[in-house]
Amino acid sequence: MFRPIGPSAPTLLLYLDGERIAAHPHESVAACLLRHGVRAIRATPVTGSPRLPYCMIGHCFDCLVEIDGHGSVQACLAPVRDGMRVFARSGMDKGSAR
Amino acid sequence: MIAGPPPGRSDRMPPDADVIVIGAGPAGMSAAVELAAAGRSVIVLDMNAGPGGQVFRGLGENLAARPATDALLAALGPAYRAGERLVHAFVTAAGIDYRPSTTVWDLRSDGTVGWLRGADAGYIRGRQVLLATGAMERPVPFPGWTLPGVMTAGAVQTLIKAGRLQPEGRIVLAGTGPLILLLADQLRRLGVRPCLIARTDRLRDKVAALPRLRPRGLPALIKGLGWIARLRLAGIPVITGVTDLRAVGQDRVERISLRAGRRRIDLPCDLLIVHDGIVPATDLAHAAGIELAWAKAEAGWLPVTLTDGLAQAAPGPALTSGPCRIFISGDGRRIGGAEAAVAHGRMAAQAILSALRGGGAATGARLTFAEVRHSLVPRPFLDRAFPLGLAAGVPCDSTLVCRCEEITAGAIRAEIRKGARDINLLRATLRCGMGPCQGRNCATTVARLLAEAHPAATPAPFRARPPARPLPLGALARLTGADRALAEIVSLQDKPVMMPRAAEDTPDAQPRA
Repeated sequence: MFRPIGPSAPTLLLYLDGERIAAHPHESVAACLLRHGVRAIRATPVTGSPRLPYCMIGHCFDCLVEIDGHGSVQACLAPVRDGMRVFARSGMDKGSAR
Repeated sequence: MIAGPPPGRSDRMPPDADVIVIGAGPAGMSAAVELAAAGRSVIVLDMNAGPGGQVFRGLGENLAARPATDALLAALGPAYRAGERLVHAFVTAAGIDYRPSTTVWDLRSDGTVGWLRGADAGYIRGRQVLLATGAMERPVPFPGWTLPGVMTAGAVQTLIKAGRLQPEGRIVLAGTGPLILLLADQLRRLGVRPCLIARTDRLRDKVAALPRLRPRGLPALIKGLGWIARLRLAGIPVITGVTDLRAVGQDRVERISLRAGRRRIDLPCDLLIVHDGIVPATDLAHAAGIELAWAKAEAGWLPVTLTDGLAQAAPGPALTSGPCRIFISGDGRRIGGAEAAVAHGRMAAQAILSALRGGGAATGARLTFAEVRHSLVPRPFLDRAFPLGLAAGVPCDSTLVCRCEEITAGAIRAEIRKGARDINLLRATLRCGMGPCQGRNCATTVARLLAEAHPAATPAPFRARPPARPLPLGALARLTGADRALAEIVSLQDKPVMMPRAAEDTPDAQPRA
């Protein structure tokens, strides 16, 4: 759905659900996940429907992920850091257990 | 339980700065620069990782990263580069304590601000506070708007500016407003060819808007006509008068469906970009007990302020007493765009300097007032030329209104038919507005569904309570700067029930004698 404008040479590594993915220092976690073509960033707690970021400016809260042990972090507002561990929440079954 | 607020601002907690500015977009940066130049101490709290707000997001970084960002900067055009001087002045100004990646979850009219940065949180106090948190895109519920692959135009612009990403695949832009045309033009410059630009506005809106056109609005008109002409030249289909938009798909948007006149158009689609204009983000003003006025033509609330930005506390009980120390500036006050926000930020700064001196005429205020008026001249034309589109009507029963708790318009209408007349009752019975976004995306729609059944009542928002944004328990436990007197106020009467009045054409409050 999204690809880099101009040259792209990621210098950072982060872990998405345990898997290593490359990241750019200027990226937010949400932008990084969209660049990697993630199909859903979370599942809703009510019906388990998949969601991706909608507003990207901190209003919609549809990009909530777990980052380094902190739950419900807005991925659109979180800059990437080397070694960051991101878990995409999957609604009630997994999200509430972690 | 303590009934009522403490008698006055606590003197035990000294202010942390002369002024706390919330937001580092055009209004916040311009005000902070002005305040710092006058020798005042300024703390700027910014939810984003760097200054610029939405319009100048990532500008400093993108300029520093040249030539890798040349194509990006060329696509974003001169309106983006126009922020260079302001961003530079802001980052180099002495006396500005800039705190990025900091969210504000509480604001009180005595100048107390609750902040969160990472795992740390606390309260700080300013002698005055400037709220410059800008706008949000008008929520546009339609069938399928929660599907992955549906995004707002602002989201795509954010991904371009800060993610250095461009969309690919089968793209449809739907909605109205200058931003959708600007984005389409930027995409064209990046070599992205949308399958369709489906506009809800019509030629007759432009004709009806013409009497409101003033000479100073001409550059905006010419710019807009240029965008449309270049899109046509590039062969990108543009249709107008679109209604009944739907996004359809299983786990993501697969196709879109809309009505154009008597035609029904169905198209395969990977990314649907929607936009229906922007409205002030009133969450923090509301949380602080500032009066809100309902603007029917905007389908949203506006904070009530004097022209210089001084916010007016809502009548009734308040969490804190004493004079209101909050000013509001930029698009968070009235939608006017970056240029207007810069001018108003300076005007608000002059008014704040005057308040810090204990009143009296603000120096230079007359000049900035003229600038503010000039910068707003194109607005009446733009507002009429791009009327509400996707959000013009209230959604059909099957549409999700509350994205967080997944509550449909039908479920809300059923509660209203059972007798619910109060938006807070709907929240209590349906959980509508209780999810993580705290009603930011559904409040205006729920209020309009109530107005559909009870047209005489002025739409009121959900009652606001701190924290206005999520606050981790661990951070709350280690809260710094808490005032014991404020911490003790725990009562159900601690917040006014907001009863907005209808906004007039110029909803600025008049100074109280």
